[in-house]
Amino acid sequence: MSAVPLVVNFEGDFVLQLVGVDSANTMDQVAQAAAAHSIGRRVKPRAGGVLRVSRQDAPEPFARAQSVADAGLQPMETVVVFWNKS
Amino acid sequence: MTLLKRSDWYDIARDTNWTPSFVTEEELFPREMSDVFDVPREAWNVYDEPYKTSYREYVKVQREKDAGAYSVKAALGRMNFYKNADPGWLTILKAHYGAIALQEFAAGMSEARMARFGKAPGMRNMATFGLMDETRHGQIQLFFPHELVPQDRQFDWAHRAMHTNEWAAIAARQTFADLFSGRDAISVSIMLTFAFETGFTNMQFLGLASDAADAGDATFSNLISNIQTDEARHAQIGAPALKILIKNGKKEEAQKKVDIAFWRSWRLFTVLTGPMMDYYTPLAKRHKSFKEFMEEWIVTQFERNMLDLGLDKPWYWDIFLEELNDTHHGMHLGAWYWRPTVWWNPAAGASVADREWLEAKYPGWNDTWGQCWDVITQNVLAGRHDLTLPATLPVVCNMSNLPIVGRPGKGWAVRDYPVEYKGRRYHFGSEPDRWCFQQEPERYAGHQSLVDRFVSGLINPPTIPGVLAYMGLGPQDMGKDAHDYAWAESHRLKAAA
Repeated sequence: MSAVPLVVNFEGDFVLQLVGVDSANTMDQVAQAAAAHSIGRRVKPRAGGVLRVSRQDAPEPFARAQSVADAGLQPMETVVVFWNKS
Repeated sequence: MTLLKRSDWYDIARDTNWTPSFVTEEELFPREMSDVFDVPREAWNVYDEPYKTSYREYVKVQREKDAGAYSVKAALGRMNFYKNADPGWLTILKAHYGAIALQEFAAGMSEARMARFGKAPGMRNMATFGLMDETRHGQIQLFFPHELVPQDRQFDWAHRAMHTNEWAAIAARQTFADLFSGRDAISVSIMLTFAFETGFTNMQFLGLASDAADAGDATFSNLISNIQTDEARHAQIGAPALKILIKNGKKEEAQKKVDIAFWRSWRLFTVLTGPMMDYYTPLAKRHKSFKEFMEEWIVTQFERNMLDLGLDKPWYWDIFLEELNDTHHGMHLGAWYWRPTVWWNPAAGASVADREWLEAKYPGWNDTWGQCWDVITQNVLAGRHDLTLPATLPVVCNMSNLPIVGRPGKGWAVRDYPVEYKGRRYHFGSEPDRWCFQQEPERYAGHQSLVDRFVSGLINPPTIPGVLAYMGLGPQDMGKDAHDYAWAESHRLKAAA
């Protein structure tokens, strides 16, 4: 386990932010860590939907249970956190 | 004593060129200090500066101008204007002085480089006066805020800002070091005087002088109008240099330097001038928007200047025009949200009436930037100020050193423009920022942004308080909401109505 700083682009927000996660965190945990810096601060909460994580410009998001280490995310890599139906 | 007319002797007197015999040409004009374009020295003989003055004329005019500015200050100083001024206006003064005053001295060094290493006698002559201009500008813009320091410690940042690692200071310092402190004389002439001064200082000094007069700040209005008349003169050093470069087959290289300098200047003005004009200036005194000023002063005039000289519009012109709608709103929201990290008190400019003005000037503002301000306003009204303050850092661009921002809310359009270079990942706020890096990566690759420093362990402890200490911000320095959240009450009243 090791700390991994990520560059997070959160849907609806206006700025990229630095978010620290752990290499063992799942993508759902990454999404929650990112949400804490945007939802209720500058982004309105949404009812329904699930927050998903993807690399910028990737066609598909990571699996929700996939860990940061398994996804191969490197320190200071940019991820997009966005709402999806599931 | 009868004096000759200047036109009778000027051309002969200023042509102090000679053929070196004790040193080589290369020793007299080292390439990296003089001219990286490698234009033959004799080609510079036709350089003709459009504005000619003598030392006697310079001293007479400047003495009268400066005496006028100092006497206005002395007369109005007794009227307590600053004790009763709108806090938003004081914010403008603090941001301006901190960002500009010491950089005037840096610009003086660059003028000195042209005065010594410019190959054209006319350039050396003009730049000598430019050096004196910038020295005076540095002094006067340190002197004026100095008397306000006992009233408000943030005015001390006129002198302090550029000596700190505060993020906006890093951005200004790194940009100006790239555009003029760290360039050869000819590059300085086109990047500082043509692109930055002809293009942008009009905005900061004339646009703001107009706002200052409306706001009743005759001292500041007089001061920066005074400065701009000098800028307008020495800004003319670059255009004749560009003509010679183009004539000698260097258009492509010259165009690239102009394009880099214009973009980097634009980015800096989005955080400095944009918030001042659209948010910090009290609404009753706000007439033209930042976008309208930009369209008048930059889009129309500078574009014409470039085309008249035989240059092209920068390749990113459409991106630039699009950015006029959004980027400075992001810089403002960032400065307000991360307000403890700045040396001024950002005025939110988000009351009900402010938002009506913003929507009129920027149709769609409420559906985009307003979406973020809705959440902030609710938190302020609920007393949850903690949720309107930062818990992490914004990621900053490795070119501009400013936050990477984009359009929020409906029509969300935010993205990173990353690049890998020699195993290191760099982040950029726009395609032109990344393009600047790619033109000369070794020039920029070693610089660490504030976020790079944080992540690499240079800032301890790695927390928000640790960052504030690293930036030199004590409790009395840190920015607060300029109006102590009074703007939010208009929303409570509107909801109750």
